[in-house]
Amino acid sequence: MKKACSALSVFALVLAMAFMAAEVCRAAETIKIGVLYPLTGGAAAEGRELRAGAELAADIANNVMPIDMDMAKRGGVPSIGGAKIELVFKDHEGNPTLGADLAKKLILDDKVVGILGCYHSAVTKTVSAVCEQYGIPMINDSSTSPALTQRDFKWFWRTTPHDVTFTRDLFELFKGLSEGKVKGVPAVKKDQMIRLASACEKTEWGSQVSETIEAMAKNNGFVVGKSLLYAAKSADLSSEVRSLKSAKPDALLFACYASDAILMVKTLKAQKVSAKIIWGQNAGFEVPEFRSTLGEDVVGILTRTVFSPQVAQVKKAAGQVNALYITKYNHDLSGASARAFTGVQTWVEVLQKAGSTKPDAIQAAANAITIPGDQLIVPWAGIKFAPEGADRGQNVMGSGIIGQYQKNKEGKIVLEIIYPFDLATANMIYPFKSF
Amino acid sequence: MDILAGSVAAGLLIGLVFALVALGLTIIFGMMDIVNFAHGEFLMIGMYTALLTSQTTGIDPLAALPVAALVGFLLGVCCYFGFVKYLLRGPMVAQLLGTFGLMLLLRNLALLFFGSEDRTIHEGLLVGQSFEIGMGIVIPATKLAAAVLAVVAFVGTWLLMNRTKLGRAMTATALNRQGARYMGISTERMNALAWGIGGATVTVAGALLVNFWSVTPFVGLLFTMIAFAIVALGGFGSVPGAFFAGLLVGLITEIPGFWDFFAYITGSSWMSGISMTPFKYTWVYLAYFLIMIFRPRGLFGWKS
Repeated sequence: MKKACSALSVFALVLAMAFMAAEVCRAAETIKIGVLYPLTGGAAAEGRELRAGAELAADIANNVMPIDMDMAKRGGVPSIGGAKIELVFKDHEGNPTLGADLAKKLILDDKVVGILGCYHSAVTKTVSAVCEQYGIPMINDSSTSPALTQRDFKWFWRTTPHDVTFTRDLFELFKGLSEGKVKGVPAVKKDQMIRLASACEKTEWGSQVSETIEAMAKNNGFVVGKSLLYAAKSADLSSEVRSLKSAKPDALLFACYASDAILMVKTLKAQKVSAKIIWGQNAGFEVPEFRSTLGEDVVGILTRTVFSPQVAQVKKAAGQVNALYITKYNHDLSGASARAFTGVQTWVEVLQKAGSTKPDAIQAAANAITIPGDQLIVPWAGIKFAPEGADRGQNVMGSGIIGQYQKNKEGKIVLEIIYPFDLATANMIYPFKSF
Repeated sequence: MDILAGSVAAGLLIGLVFALVALGLTIIFGMMDIVNFAHGEFLMIGMYTALLTSQTTGIDPLAALPVAALVGFLLGVCCYFGFVKYLLRGPMVAQLLGTFGLMLLLRNLALLFFGSEDRTIHEGLLVGQSFEIGMGIVIPATKLAAAVLAVVAFVGTWLLMNRTKLGRAMTATALNRQGARYMGISTERMNALAWGIGGATVTVAGALLVNFWSVTPFVGLLFTMIAFAIVALGGFGSVPGAFFAGLLVGLITEIPGFWDFFAYITGSSWMSGISMTPFKYTWVYLAYFLIMIFRPRGLFGWKS
């Protein structure tokens, strides 16, 4: 009887260990990353792009594909037993409070290893505060308010350049115009490009863009005739557009999400308002819906971005990934999808370097990692986060490009690179033809 | 000068549409002293009706007006017989909470069926068209058409209310329900008719608006507030009051334009440095607040 009891105990112990081992193996099979994007609401168009870019990156990371990128050759995360990446998507609807609630749910209920998101700077602000509170790493791929990396957070890293970088690019373009550096445009006298007017949506992102524009305009000798903030959910922007018109600007500068960007351009057209330059701070100005809805009206409009299919001319991986994306979604990658792709890619590389899913290991890996530029589909020199200082967690190797919608020989509207001047793929259309 | 003229023109055009939005609210209040909090949701349904009719059949959004009117009329009548009729038996607070509940119901049904994304009409005979009429005034064709058709709808409703037997029966019901019943008027039917006409006018306003205003299930709240302000300003129950107050509210929403004009003519840098556009509806609510304090009957009100 005693022997039988001992045998039974040993059997039970072996069984328990087998279950535990199986559990460990299963845990190693997938690494959950919580992804927060605006999948419904006013920025749903951007949300769809972001999700598509993130899903494609996870797909490439989990399989072996003929792409010139380390991530595509591993078929998982080898340093964590070949674990696959699982993205757990949540829709924050552009609502900062909902975003924070969902982040808690992802951390406590879904037990995610870390967070990716959230596009809207205002949502990223609250979600990153939750991550900081719980000691969970968050990589931000697409929010550009400079203030986000000025909070000395230990668990927050941002891959995309922020709006100070992007706005500086704009003023470099203005400078290049007066110096005759812009491809296809003779030097423009400074006094012919002096008056600016801006309209920015009034959340964290737009108001920071507005402030940055005003500060840089002042430093560079420009006059901001009108600087408006408006609600991105506005259904009518007539009075805003008339107010911009009253400033008689040489350049109209915008920071809009998708639906308000489309409404803004339609209202500009309806009110017959124009300027020599119309520039959008990315976001709504470069989602596919912007050009598909407005058609030829977008020709000549500038937008800052981080991706253009023309990037493939200098980065092989960009062309390969874009070709895959077109096969899957029937259109080119946009700045949003390219940044989401890069966000997931960064997560994969950080996990590979960490060799563990423990927060401390991920934190150390993120602070030490350097991803070379040739691994990326965006035109940056690479990814390396500032481990401390005034911009802690910010990728210091990022840069932006300014594209202009132009009609190519086949009659298709494409985003040509105008800035940096050495990467320019077409002559700039200047001044903007009126609508 | 073009800033001033442009703002006045824009204010008057949108004011006419605002007036039509408020017309239904004032008719319903005039008839049975009930404040319809779901009024903006009726407008939202009108917007979706025109948008979906246009998109599914390929007809111009403006041609969808009769469909929107029919949907609004039926919705109003159904709401009355299925819901409001029973609310009228309860105290005032039940009526207020009841229409508030109707608002939430309609909004959430729209959210369920149409989703939360903005929808806009991108194609149509007048969509994107505009013309200059001198003095720098640019008139978008969709807004002009909406304003003209709003006037037509307004005149039609006024004639119905004042020049037909039906209208007189409705007025009699509004003035003295019991007396009207003694005269053989079916007050129940008159109430239903008021809800039908109220629903039809506001859904027509929605169908006009959707030509230049994007629609989401949440669009109604702004217009409910604007309609309340117009009805308070014009006088509860007054049709001409709604018309003139609508124009006035339209002009009030253009205060940012007037501000820009004064900044321009005075050359004041501090004035031009301040943007009034984020506050364009604040002035409307301020006017509503002031009129409720100093003249609760409104400018043309006949019900105290």
